[in-house]
Amino acid sequence: MNEIVKKKQIVVIAEHRQGNITPVTGETLSLARELGRILDLETTIIIPGISMENQASHTAGTTGMNVIGIKGEGLELYNCEAYLEALTGLLKTADLHYIILPHTAMGYDLAPRLAVRLKASCITAVEQLSGKGESVTFLRSQWNGKIILEVALLTERKVVTVLPGSWPALDEKPEKPGQVTIIPFESFTKHSKTTGIKEAGRTEFDLTKADVIVAAGRGLRKEENLPVIYELSGIFPKSAVGASRAACDAGWFDYGRQIGITGKTVSPKLYIACGISGSTQHIAGMKGSQMVVAINTDPAASIFGIADYCIVEDLTTFIPCLLEEYGIFSRRQDSE
Amino acid sequence: MKILVCIKQVPDSEGVLSISNSGKGTEFEGTYRMNHFDEFALEEALRIRENMPVESIDAVSVGPARIESTIRKALEMGASRGIHIITEGEDHISPLETATRIASFAGEGGYDLILAGVMAEDDMQSQVGPMIAEMLGYPSASSVICEEIDPEKGILYAEREIESGVRECLEMKLPALLTIQSGINRPRYPALSNVLRARAQEITVLVAHPGAKPEKREEIVTFRYPETTSKGLFLEGDKKEKARELIHILHEKSII
Ligand SMILES: Cc1cc2nc3c(=O)[nH]c(=O)nc-3n(C[C@H](O)[C@H](O)[C@H](O)COP(=O)(O)OP(=O)(O)OC[C@H]3O[C@@H](n4cnc5c(N)ncnc54)[C@H](O)[C@@H]3O)c2cc1C
Ligand SMILES: Nc1ncnc2c1ncn2[C@@H]1O[C@H](COP(=O)(O)O)[C@@H](O)[C@H]1O
Repeated sequence: MNEIVKKKQIVVIAEHRQGNITPVTGETLSLARELGRILDLETTIIIPGISMENQASHTAGTTGMNVIGIKGEGLELYNCEAYLEALTGLLKTADLHYIILPHTAMGYDLAPRLAVRLKASCITAVEQLSGKGESVTFLRSQWNGKIILEVALLTERKVVTVLPGSWPALDEKPEKPGQVTIIPFESFTKHSKTTGIKEAGRTEFDLTKADVIVAAGRGLRKEENLPVIYELSGIFPKSAVGASRAACDAGWFDYGRQIGITGKTVSPKLYIACGISGSTQHIAGMKGSQMVVAINTDPAASIFGIADYCIVEDLTTFIPCLLEEYGIFSRRQDSE
Repeated sequence: MKILVCIKQVPDSEGVLSISNSGKGTEFEGTYRMNHFDEFALEEALRIRENMPVESIDAVSVGPARIESTIRKALEMGASRGIHIITEGEDHISPLETATRIASFAGEGGYDLILAGVMAEDDMQSQVGPMIAEMLGYPSASSVICEEIDPEKGILYAEREIESGVRECLEMKLPALLTIQSGINRPRYPALSNVLRARAQEITVLVAHPGAKPEKREEIVTFRYPETTSKGLFLEGDKKEKARELIHILHEKSII
């Protein structure tokens, strides 16, 4: 096994869905490449699965990195137990430095267990790298982005997950393709089995076609405040109402209106975030908006970091005031 | 059936969080509360108990003396027992240490099901749950949005939420650990009778053994504020002035 994963390497665990390597895996490879340049390490990509031969040679061609396919029953869909078994067999004895995964439902499910099993350090949702010579540190957010931590990993083996959207997808024109190795795997997993994938089946709202989205978060505070959000949305043609996950959890909105990494991705001309703190998971779904207005009582809210126009006010009193001023404005327009 | 729920006390986002002068830690002024994701986990345990015989629902938390109020909140919601693994001071506790503390307690407890939140709102690491499962050799699934238990067969059916509205379905053998995603249920407000009961109830305090602390694997070099890359303009004035300015801007941009 040591022969396959050669000395001191970076290993990236590829994520795939319906036979395709996911775009976030490409972002993860970019971090690996950056890290590899600083530390002079090579990267090997591991694809667990049942029929990954085509993916493997394609990936080896587009990245120039070596690819290992771990092939066996029980790996066609992601399953934590099966993946752990497949990977530790290969990684335990290898003399490697970094194991990098995307910070997705696969990555944050697998990484902590892998770290415990390999006695590795573990850092999740990394957004930036800071390299000075041989020493590398990782930056990640706390508190919905209000504080940034710079973290050094102290052990020989390190497990890292990469926050989606933090690196561009790897875009390389390698001179020659990487080497492909397929190794068979026989699973002995007994405690857990992934039985399938299904769509959540939510009511659909056409958020993706709206020019203007007025989105509400937990700052709405209570159901009685809902009308102001709909009224504000009502002043714009082709508009829709969206929500943060927290606002959906509160029962104020249907989950079909949720924007973010586990909801919809939108890119309207105007996004008005009302009482939304700006968690990375929410921002992932709306950062393509052409213009962002944020209304929040907290001047330090992270949403202001990506907003074009920032309004530090209580939405429950500010929006009614805005609607009133809009009334005056539109009457004046009409009379002109 | 015995259930353990891991709960964390976090600073409420309405308080003021700042970096201490040393740059080596954070300071917080405001109130503390239960991590929202853990409220969903505890509620899920309570709902399981409404559907099948459950011997006890224990709520465990690791941290300094102040976290007692959150453990009491868990009792108010309906947990049978509160366990406080007490640590000294406000130093940052690594996920590995938290998981080690909880696993060494849970290992003795014979729990059939352990629930945690998918993420702590303050540190946002999503590590503690799966780490506990690994230490105990339990199967685990994170970001669970729906679960059902067949107590006779000892099997748990779970759906976990993956990206963009898709779910992964799995079957696991008990004992198992789940980390719970928000929206799986609607957490209850404590009933008055439970609040009164909880007030008088004893919380089991376990002192975290300094010797049992795992070796440090990560080191926080600095805490810093995000670089304000904000190109954003903060509108000035009173409400009315801000409202007028915003309307003016939207009009200029031909949005209204
Ligand atoms: C795996 C995973 C996936 C997730 N996916 C998503 C996702 O797809 N989408 C999503 O949105 N979240 C998602 N989340 C949740 C996310 O981490 C946050 O918890 C959530 O986005 C917070 O919502 P919020 O901003 O509405 O609430 P909070 O973070 O509680 O923020 C409320 C804000 O309102 C402000 N406020 C309070 N009162 C007022 C007032 N009267 N007027 C104006 N402002 C006020 C506060 O200052 C605060 O900034 C996910 C989490 C996990 C772990
Ligand atoms: N100090 C703690 N005490 C008890 N449970 C915790 C603690 N820290 C984290 N957890 C649990 O682990 C989950 C994930 O936390 P984290 O890995 O820090 O994001 C939380 O939702 C809690 O259920």
